[in-house]
Amino acid sequence: MTDEINKEEAWESVLSKIQLDISQANFNTWFKNTNISSIEDSVVVISVPNSFTKEWLENKYSKLILKNLKDVDKNIKEVKCIVDNKINGSAKKKEKNKKEALVSENQMELVDFSINKETNLNPKYTFDSFVVGPFNELPHAAGKAVAQNPGSLYNPLFIYGGVGLGKTHLMQAIGNEVVNNLPQKKVKYVSVEKFTSEVVSSIRNKSMEEFKLRYREVDVLIIDDVQFLSGKEKTQEEFFHTFNSLYESNKQVIISSDRPPRAIQALAERLRSRFEGGMITDISQPDLETRLAILKTKAQEKGTNFPEEVYTYIATNIYQNIRELEGALNKLIAHQKLGNQTIDEDKAKEILKKSVSTTKVKTPKKIIQSVVRFYDLKEKDLMESSRKKEIVEPRQVAMYLLREDLKCSFPFIGRKLGGKDHTTVMHSCEKIKNKIKDDENLREEIELIRQFILSL
Amino acid sequence: MKIKINQNKLKEGVNVVERISSKSSSLPVLKNILIRAYKNYINLIATDLEIGIKWWSLAQTEKEGEVVIPSGILSSFINFLPNEKVSMSLSKNDLLVDCSDFKTQIKGFTTDEFPIIPEVSEKSSLLINSQDLCKGLSQVSDIPSFSTARPEISGVFFEAKKDKLKVVATDSYRLGEKIINLDNKVKEDLSFILPQKAAKEIVGILGEKEGVVKLVFSPSQVLFEMKEDSKSTQPQIQIVSRVIDGEYPNYEEIIPKKSGTSIILNRAEFLNQIKASSVFGGKVNELKVKVNPTKKGLELFSESVETGEFNSFIPAEIKGKKEEISFNYRFLVDGLSIIKSPEVIFEVNGSSSPGVLRPAKETDFLYIVMPIKSN
Repeated sequence: MTDEINKEEAWESVLSKIQLDISQANFNTWFKNTNISSIEDSVVVISVPNSFTKEWLENKYSKLILKNLKDVDKNIKEVKCIVDNKINGSAKKKEKNKKEALVSENQMELVDFSINKETNLNPKYTFDSFVVGPFNELPHAAGKAVAQNPGSLYNPLFIYGGVGLGKTHLMQAIGNEVVNNLPQKKVKYVSVEKFTSEVVSSIRNKSMEEFKLRYREVDVLIIDDVQFLSGKEKTQEEFFHTFNSLYESNKQVIISSDRPPRAIQALAERLRSRFEGGMITDISQPDLETRLAILKTKAQEKGTNFPEEVYTYIATNIYQNIRELEGALNKLIAHQKLGNQTIDEDKAKEILKKSVSTTKVKTPKKIIQSVVRFYDLKEKDLMESSRKKEIVEPRQVAMYLLREDLKCSFPFIGRKLGGKDHTTVMHSCEKIKNKIKDDENLREEIELIRQFILSL
Repeated sequence: MKIKINQNKLKEGVNVVERISSKSSSLPVLKNILIRAYKNYINLIATDLEIGIKWWSLAQTEKEGEVVIPSGILSSFINFLPNEKVSMSLSKNDLLVDCSDFKTQIKGFTTDEFPIIPEVSEKSSLLINSQDLCKGLSQVSDIPSFSTARPEISGVFFEAKKDKLKVVATDSYRLGEKIINLDNKVKEDLSFILPQKAAKEIVGILGEKEGVVKLVFSPSQVLFEMKEDSKSTQPQIQIVSRVIDGEYPNYEEIIPKKSGTSIILNRAEFLNQIKASSVFGGKVNELKVKVNPTKKGLELFSESVETGEFNSFIPAEIKGKKEEISFNYRFLVDGLSIIKSPEVIFEVNGSSSPGVLRPAKETDFLYIVMPIKSN
């Protein structure tokens, strides 16, 4: 069947033959950035970067393309082209920007248009567009409370959860709500990365005082991705002082991270204990109903609608990450607009085949990588026969996960982790199994690692 | 092919299409012009695969035909011919050009490899006076700067609503917005981003002509078309360009809604002083503007370690408070040069918010510029 042939391979084989038939210049001009967008029944649709290419391929090369496609699949009867403007960006050659040199580094930019310059908040993130479900009820409620009464209720508010689950959305929504309701309050949203680079540049420009002032006059400070503070000592120190001075004057601090404070490696103890001093709340993975609700809200925002089955298909097959959910939806919308076609369930399956199938698989490699990343180790640390506590436990966790999630055999796990004996592996798995019964922290850590694995 | 046409007409056509035929290109055929002769008309075509230009003129066609001729050779040669009847015919792929005492043979190629200019199917269109369009467009077409990171701002944004067409451009440091009035209301709102190069070509080609431009828009292409006169059915010039895919930033949000301090001053004088200050602008082009309501004027100050210091004063009508803001003088010069009115309004809102320049009596143009962080 036509559906079975691999689009990339088919197109590569066509290109390799066409290359021999036409001049290099022609080939580069007309076949660069083209690919097969879909194969349906006997019609092949090729996406091309611009209308010129469309005209040219349809009028001059369609016979040549068809002939070569028939070599791949005899059933193909027709070739069509569609213009995909998106391809253009990459096709564009780089031009030297003459103006760049004349603009000094102090030249301020017109704010990235939609983002508010003083607060750094993007107004598109609001509570209204935040879909609440059982998985994020608590952080949402805490966030709402903080937005109404910054500084007095939960301070600091620490929100953690895996990638793409809406931490940034929630925090920005809190910020926007404060700006709207209490305009006299100064809100500042900053990612740790930006904070770090500001620290570095103020050290370099000897403008540390200004920097301190800038952060200490805000009423609500929102810090995103605080796990990146890990190992940055000077930044941690600055952040610590900023945090203290805000906290003491009852200013609200809101922090997000992809893991709880105690799981952030190389974080100064005094910071950790402060993070834990307020309210810690986590966003877990959304359940099916919430995923459906999210998809429908997003589709509505973008002004389109799909059949019920399509939503169900996306929601059941993409479950770890809201961002991916949105990505899949965007993909469908793009296809809908591009081809002016209605998307049904089969169509959606076809389009999303790639993104769905790759996200599901857990492999031993991914598990080991995630454990290593989570505990901030190196892969070879796990393989060595070190008995240091900070390595032994991660190694045991890795063994446990390989056994529980992948049902690997004990000898296999032993071999994977640097040639350990299978009895060692059995012991380790048993140990972790027992430990998580009482150890809340460990249980949570393992859950987070599982999320990591899925996000890899 | 055998065709006769006046030299000045042919020259006009060649000059129109030749500007787009690429000087250097990966595809050699793009360095050429396609000449096509058919009943009563000659048609010249050139393209760089982003923009396609077609030009037509009445001509005496004795035999139809077509050929591809290197544009550089054709245009430099045609310019030397006397203004008399030019006769062109083909011998195989060579173009024989006869004009009074000149007889030449230009080596050409078959038309097989010449790209096909995409047709723009008419979905939504609008009519606009060519002078209004080109003058408006020329006020913003120098502003965009090429950016691979943000392709959507490397073009000019067109937005037609009711009886107004807005053309907007920005390079993220400054932004210009021009509002052009249309004689007729548009049937449906339309908006697209035109690449900067196409915008400049349109200004260059259509700016010399009086008449009505028809703008036809389709999702991936846009067509600008002019006829010799309103009665003829045959277009004289068609410029087809791709449009940039992407969403133009919501620029209206950054236009300051109210002005903290508003300054009215003489444009030529202001421009002159800024240019003088530029001698001392240093590497970063920094010009300090001090708004002094008590002295009723602006003080300009610039200094550079190598060249020295500059101080000047320009009287102005000021509503508002004392301010001190640094700008890149070049951006101010650009803005003031685009505005043509004798007096300008300069609005500032503190040293980290955009300043606004606009003509004193009109409301159809706006230029926003971001300050430099002062040390």
